[in-house]
Amino acid sequence: MDDSQAKKFQKELNVGLVALILLAVLDRSSEPLYGYEIAKRLQQANAGEALFKEGTVYPVLRALSAGGFLTSRVEPSSAGPPRRYYRITREGRALLVQWSGIWTQTRDFVDRVLRGDES
Amino acid sequence: MSRPAPRSIKEYLTALRAALEGQDPALIQDALYDAQEYLQAEIAANPGIPEADVLERIAGTYGRPEEIAAAYRDTEVKVTRALRPPVSKRQASSSPFDQFFSVYSDPRAYMSLFFMFLSLVTGTLYFTFAVTGLSLSLGLAILIIGLPIFIVFIGMARVISLGEGRLLEAVTGERMPRRPVHPGPRGSLWERILAMLQDARTWTTLAYLVLMLPLGVIYFVIATTGVSLGLALLLVPIVGMAPRTGWWSGTEPLVFNPAWLNTPIGWVFCGIVGVVVLTALLHVARTVIALHARAAKALLVT
Repeated sequence: MDDSQAKKFQKELNVGLVALILLAVLDRSSEPLYGYEIAKRLQQANAGEALFKEGTVYPVLRALSAGGFLTSRVEPSSAGPPRRYYRITREGRALLVQWSGIWTQTRDFVDRVLRGDES
Repeated sequence: MSRPAPRSIKEYLTALRAALEGQDPALIQDALYDAQEYLQAEIAANPGIPEADVLERIAGTYGRPEEIAAAYRDTEVKVTRALRPPVSKRQASSSPFDQFFSVYSDPRAYMSLFFMFLSLVTGTLYFTFAVTGLSLSLGLAILIIGLPIFIVFIGMARVISLGEGRLLEAVTGERMPRRPVHPGPRGSLWERILAMLQDARTWTTLAYLVLMLPLGVIYFVIATTGVSLGLALLLVPIVGMAPRTGWWSGTEPLVFNPAWLNTPIGWVFCGIVGVVVLTALLHVARTVIALHARAAKALLVT
């Protein structure tokens, strides 16, 4: 199996999952997070093995924010450029609940098919 | 792929800009802003490591410029699809009559008309702000206090231009930046002032703010004239019927000039012209403000 095919499959999978993961991370967090911080948290959560490029987080954050699922504000930082902090909105939480349900169903279904269970 | 890997933030941003060539300028501005934020944070988080080494690692973590460009292109397409369901396509068979009146079902037409009314107020404010800020900065440039005033002035002008862009996107749907221009790495006061002076956008933004006054006056006059003329004509039938039905109890008789307007045929004629004027006004508003948004984009974004 060549590596580029695996990468392509991973990329296709990530399309919707990155948004779900971002919503989940922001939902868990008690305080607003900024793009770089979120990217680093995800990297750590996956023991350094990145499933997706951190740069792809930003356009999705922007899209979710434009859809009203996140709010954001810019704050100056002492350590460098000003940062844009994101916080999940009520609509975002509702979307997360809905998407989590879809994800669980999909995962269970795929698992059952892969195992070859008859049920 | 064959391109050499960028070795500094500046090179990275140049490569990213090149990879996004042909995309919407507003999207490019957002992508560059995000990349710059990440790259500067990464460099700040790794003190003591040369910039070139950090940049090398970033290709693996943040992504190569080409990958990032692809991510923005894909996301933009999907978001546009998800958030803005296409305006229902007019059937090819629809008559010119239908097309003329379909403007009533287009929210953008009403928003544009509203923008025309609003632009007198915003135009006056922008003009006052630009002229005051510029003359204060110039006048006080001889004293040291002129410099901070100039920086604050340009900063505020950028915020206003972002707000105006958001407003125009809401009104016309023209894609506008969601982020301001990235202020860039913190340099000395002089470097920042020099960068502001050299940035062509500083001047085009100020030109837009000044131009908004005459444009606002013109828009306001068109909108006010159109609405009052259209409504006045629409009301002619009611006014014509008023004395005959006893609704009008004034002492003076109502005068119609020419007199034939005060006949049933005249009423119908005025009513129809009123509808045509109001409908045409919505068309004019939609077209003019769409052109305005495109011009604003040229001045505020590119």
